Amino acid sequence: MSSVATASAITTTTRPHGSSRPNLVQVGTIVWLSSELMFFAALFAMYFTIRSVSLGQDQPWPGAHLDVPFATFNTTVLVLSSVTCQLGVWAVERGDVKKLRFWYIVSFLMGAFFIGGQLWEYANLAREGHVLSAGPYESVFYLTTGFHGLHVTGGLIAFLFILGRTYAAKRLTYEQQTSAIVVSYYWHFVDVVWIGLFATIYIIK
Amino acid sequence: MRIQGWMFILVGVFFAAIDAVYWLWSKEPAGTTALAISCGLGLMIGYYLLFTSRRVGDQPEDNKEAEISDGAGEVGFFSPHSWWPLFLCLSAALTFFGFAIGWWLFFIGLFATVMSMVGFVFQYYRGNFSH
Repeated sequence: MSSVATASAITTTTRPHGSSRPNLVQVGTIVWLSSELMFFAALFAMYFTIRSVSLGQDQPWPGAHLDVPFATFNTTVLVLSSVTCQLGVWAVERGDVKKLRFWYIVSFLMGAFFIGGQLWEYANLAREGHVLSAGPYESVFYLTTGFHGLHVTGGLIAFLFILGRTYAAKRLTYEQQTSAIVVSYYWHFVDVVWIGLFATIYIIK
Repeated sequence: MRIQGWMFILVGVFFAAIDAVYWLWSKEPAGTTALAISCGLGLMIGYYLLFTSRRVGDQPEDNKEAEISDGAGEVGFFSPHSWWPLFLCLSAALTFFGFAIGWWLFFIGLFATVMSMVGFVFQYYRGNFSH
């Protein structure tokens, strides 16, 4: 008789272990996105602080004429790209890699349109003399929308990587499904942040 | 995962209450916005954990009678070794160094970062691992 207990062979609960676990990549992405949320919280706090200081010094706010109709159209494109991205997620959950590719390419193009529109808007503002260093309003405007734009650009690169992964492998794997889903989380997050920024900068002023 | 989810919901509710008090007392938008987003931080994780918990069912940690061994098994895929994080960090450092030194270095760093990212993302898609 061996003196070593073989506890692993004894079943004490009826539930088979390891049958369904939360996907760690997905949970981790959500936790990371919540820290991203705090990053944008700092930008919002900066915006409101400088706004109240400027108003206290009787300076105009907003300090530049914003093209609200164009920005609204651009925002609509970004919001709709979240819808197409989610259609891609539903496709990948069914294992339909062709539909995933189609919807992610559409989302990529819409995101690229948004970035292009934002650059166009920046160019127009810069032509009117509103460059980053022109004043407090320009600084907060470019920092908040610019950091968001960088996040969208990061999302565009992520879309390309997901597409690249589906083309690099012969079949759709669980790993590809997971990465496609977490990129969609990120995309939705960036979209929601933009709705907040848009409401703050363009509507509330 | 249910308890963890409710703990984060509680964090969100706490910040919501603090936020309301802060706004009524100070009428100051910067802190109010930051606290409202902190509330979002708690609610976002909390909701996701509860949503996942509903989807995957009870985990060993939800069962008072569970044994340590119930938590055994595959947790996920973890790369056993990889050089790519090192290259990625070096490239990122080079890119940010470019802000101090000059734009020429920034663009070299950016190129190196993109190459490292490609290496990182596709490391299990090439050579021996191609599938």
